Amino acid sequence: MSTKGTKIPDWLTVPFAGITPAPSQDKGQNLFPTGNWRAIRPVYRDKLPPCNNACGTNEKIQGYLDLVKRGKYLDAYALIKEDMPFPSVTGRVCYHPCEQACNRGKYDEAISIRAVERFLGDLGQALKHDVVKPGKPNGKKVAVIGSGPAGHSAAYQLARMGYKVTILEKSPKPGGLNRGGIPVWVLPPHVLDREIERLVELGITLKTNTEVGKDVSWDDLKKNYDACVLAVGLTEPNSVRAEGENKEGVLYGLPFLRDIGMGTSKVKLGPRVAVIGGGNTAIDCAREALRQGAVEVTMITVEANTQEMPASPEDLHDMFEEGVDLWHGRAMTAVLGNGKVESLQLHPARFSGAINASPINIDRNAPAEKFAVDNVIIAVGQHASLNWLPPEFKNERGTIKIDRFGRLGDTNFFAAGDIAQFGSGQPLMVVNAVGDGKRVAFNLDKALRGEPLQPRTIAIDVIMDLNRMNMTYFPHFPRVHQGMLNPITRKKTQDEVIQPFTEEQAVEEAARCFSCGTCNACDNCYLVCPEPCITRPERSNGLYKIIVDYCKGCRVCIEECPTGCLEGVPELDFDTGVVRMDTAFAISPGLHGRQAQELVNLASRPAKNI
Amino acid sequence: MPTVTATKKKTVRINGCVASAQAAKYADVDVIAAYPIRPYTATMMALAQMVANGELDAEYIVADSEHSQLSIAHGASSSGARVFTGSSGVGVQFAYELYSPISGSRMPVQMMIADRTLDPPGDFGSEHTDALSTRDMGWLMGWACDAQEAFDNHLIAYRIGEDRRVLLPQMVCQDGFFVSHITSDVELPDSSQVREFLPPYKHPYPLDPRHPVSHGPQIMPEQGPPLQLERARAMEGSMAVIEEVHKEFGEIFGRHYDPWLEEYKTDDAEVVFFLQGGHGVTARFAIQHMREKGLKVGMVRLRTIRPYPTDRVCEVLSKFKVVGVIETNMGLGSPSSGGVLYADACAALYEAPERPLVISFMAGMGGEAIVLKEFYWMTEKMIQAQKRGKIEKRTHWVGFEE
Ligand SMILES: Cc1cc2nc3c(=O)[nH]c(=O)nc-3n(C[C@H](O)[C@H](O)[C@H](O)COP(=O)(O)OP(=O)(O)OC[C@H]3O[C@@H](n4cnc5c(N)ncnc54)[C@H](O)[C@@H]3O)c2cc1C
Ligand code: SF4
Ligand code: SF4
Ligand code: SF4
Repeated sequence: MSTKGTKIPDWLTVPFAGITPAPSQDKGQNLFPTGNWRAIRPVYRDKLPPCNNACGTNEKIQGYLDLVKRGKYLDAYALIKEDMPFPSVTGRVCYHPCEQACNRGKYDEAISIRAVERFLGDLGQALKHDVVKPGKPNGKKVAVIGSGPAGHSAAYQLARMGYKVTILEKSPKPGGLNRGGIPVWVLPPHVLDREIERLVELGITLKTNTEVGKDVSWDDLKKNYDACVLAVGLTEPNSVRAEGENKEGVLYGLPFLRDIGMGTSKVKLGPRVAVIGGGNTAIDCAREALRQGAVEVTMITVEANTQEMPASPEDLHDMFEEGVDLWHGRAMTAVLGNGKVESLQLHPARFSGAINASPINIDRNAPAEKFAVDNVIIAVGQHASLNWLPPEFKNERGTIKIDRFGRLGDTNFFAAGDIAQFGSGQPLMVVNAVGDGKRVAFNLDKALRGEPLQPRTIAIDVIMDLNRMNMTYFPHFPRVHQGMLNPITRKKTQDEVIQPFTEEQAVEEAARCFSCGTCNACDNCYLVCPEPCITRPERSNGLYKIIVDYCKGCRVCIEECPTGCLEGVPELDFDTGVVRMDTAFAISPGLHGRQAQELVNLASRPAKNI
Repeated sequence: MPTVTATKKKTVRINGCVASAQAAKYADVDVIAAYPIRPYTATMMALAQMVANGELDAEYIVADSEHSQLSIAHGASSSGARVFTGSSGVGVQFAYELYSPISGSRMPVQMMIADRTLDPPGDFGSEHTDALSTRDMGWLMGWACDAQEAFDNHLIAYRIGEDRRVLLPQMVCQDGFFVSHITSDVELPDSSQVREFLPPYKHPYPLDPRHPVSHGPQIMPEQGPPLQLERARAMEGSMAVIEEVHKEFGEIFGRHYDPWLEEYKTDDAEVVFFLQGGHGVTARFAIQHMREKGLKVGMVRLRTIRPYPTDRVCEVLSKFKVVGVIETNMGLGSPSSGGVLYADACAALYEAPERPLVISFMAGMGGEAIVLKEFYWMTEKMIQAQKRGKIEKRTHWVGFEE
């Protein structure tokens, strides 16, 4: 027997399958720490999904879609409420820049984010008590001027921080353009009313019929409040400066919609209505005109085609469905008629330079067109009414002069919303006003505490690009579409045109989300690691950990992370958790370690005399 | 619970491949990993039929290559299944990577080999080089000479390999065609006999998701030697178990095999053939004829080559004057410049006080039959050497020399 008399020392005993109890998973791994092979270390680093970045108030979209997918609706609602006071509103009215930015749009179809947001907003509306609570009172008083989206958002965030907030609103009903602009068939008033109730539940005082400049003066504001947010919007309609604009039957888009929204409209339209303008307000006016009894509605725009129009393609589509006609390349140069509008004089026209940002060239030498109408609605933009504002705070654009923090000089006055964003390059829309109101509220708080303020434009983190993700994990899947009322019948009613998602639809759509750049605890890394050296106490973002003693830097987890939140970082960039090669192979005191000790002992022994 | 339906002892006329399939059925295997290659294919077909007919309740997995086939066998065995697999010729080679890991993790996988010559010549004849090339990979290995012995060897090998003192995989070999495709009478046992001899297999530490353990973890280089030593101990230690099991087999089934060597007419023999496998059957006839002519010739047939019964071989072969090793395998550049059996035999004899002369015969190559005439010729060569007291040369290529 040649193996007779052999002995295996304890420290070299290897447990293996057949003859000894197999080692547990951990112990099996203990046998050979492979961490010192690693040149690249996987690191979990969430990036900003493009949707979150594009949303004007940076809602944590990926986060709430993930929660909806898991059926945690209330958590999802609470998450959305961090940045958005009224998801039920934006879930209906928002032009959803998030969806334009959605990575899935480059793959098949963008996530229907707004519809999921509306699902959550409506869920919140149905709650007896909202999830949001006022902050601990800090004894400071803030006035918010204007109850539109910007004022609403600023007041909401300030109340959550403990401020005593008073909203001063000149109109008899609160809501700004949410009420007196955006039509009822887009945003039903009861939805908005519920959100205003929520605001009041936070302890905010709402004073309607209170106009700054008339009922309250600039000095009153300075005297009675520690700080003030001006969110007064752009309340005055622009004119096209055409001859005869003062004739009867000539209307302006903003007051036309406002009066309907406030319930004070006395307008009676004739059968033939023209709308001047190519933006979203003009579209709303045209569609509203149908609902107010007009039979033939024609939209007249300077823009040469629909691509040039600053209008949402979806709204345009819905408008065409309802039968509105659209003329391009024309300007209204006169309103003709005997005291009352009978027809319009039109001339060919083009923007002289950039669309919507340059003067209009009107070819008055060309033969004029005459277009018979009963009414014309002019909807070519708005401007501010700021006669109460001290002149040093007025700027050349006719709005309020603010620094990059939204602050008026070194005062405790801040401005937010359309009044601050007009002309800044930011599109004017509800979510941008909400975001602006939020950021200004945080800066106001910092100013009162004497802390450094944050610029209004947020620093862009790493935004996750589609090509850094692993698309093999995402089969193509079509977008879930919201139901729509029939265009033939809907245009005679004030019924909400776009229908809500069912729960199933919301979950199905949320499940399409790629979770761009953000760990959604899919467990892939945990499963594919060949070592395996990834642990997680439970499946949740932030709980995944790499055991660096064993990770050999094979990169499999990085490659197979669908979302791209795992990154390979050169090992040389680290000074902690580094597994050094103390001996040829082993970091534990194995044979090599023992030999090293023997060599040390040998060296310390006195030389023998030979 | 055994899944094989109770059967009574009966004698059937079947070939070696079917006998192997029958043995797997009687052993109530759990997993069959299959990939076709002639001549082994016949076993795979017979088993497929049994599973399809409901005679045998086993997972029958058809792999996409022999490499996968043996990987499947390895995995299935790790999970505690009794596994049956098999191959021939180049198929045996294609799975080569798996042989050491399987024995290294001490998984008692059983593999049936129906020998086939490696390429060239690309024919289907039997040459033992396919399995013999893996002989040092830690698998128990031996050859049967007929269908009955093949059947018995399968049952015996499972019993030895699965013994907790052993836990090693087994290659149960038979010559392609000479055994695998020639029918003969095979006694199939009563199922109660098998139940008594071969208890249901239970791996001591299987992979089980309910109790996660590591099999075959990466280890440090210095932990390699003890692991190899353990495998060597298991291989050597199996010898006692092999003897024990053969004895018990004889008691239960009434067929008594010497686990290591079959001696045929060796009592007064002066020259003997030393061989393994199916050519032993022809050798018996040739010896009978030569005995009639008064030649003192006999045969020693090796039944188990791994572990190699060194002491027995030494003790038995040293009784004779001349030993003629019939190779039936290629050992190009080996000590004898012939096959590989010569070296093992000589090594075993080295310690003997009186050593016989040893000659290597390259016969049965490429799967050719070794005809009676050739046995006479080889006997003649041995007798000449005996007379001369010296061998003419170490290796003779039978059929190519005067
Ligand atoms: C017709 C129309 C439709 C639109 N549709 C959409 C849409 O579908 N989706 C979208 O995202 N955006 C839409 N927009 C744009 C969006 O409504 C605005 O960008 C957004 O409402 C701006 O919010 P704000 O709070 O800055 O101003 P506003 O909503 O205009 O609110 C300003 C408030 O301040 C009050 N106020 C003004 N001056 C004073 C004062 N001196 N004292 C007290 N109160 C004062 C006003 O009465 C008003 O309530 C639309 C705009 C219009 C005009
Ligand atoms: S508010 Fe608008 S941009 Fe933000 S998530 Fe909702 S739909 Fe998208
Ligand atoms: S796929 Fe999901 S995370 Fe990515 S951009 Fe779209 S909504 Fe955002
Ligand atoms: S693979 Fe999945 S669980 Fe792992 S980091 Fe990426 S998203 Fe998170």
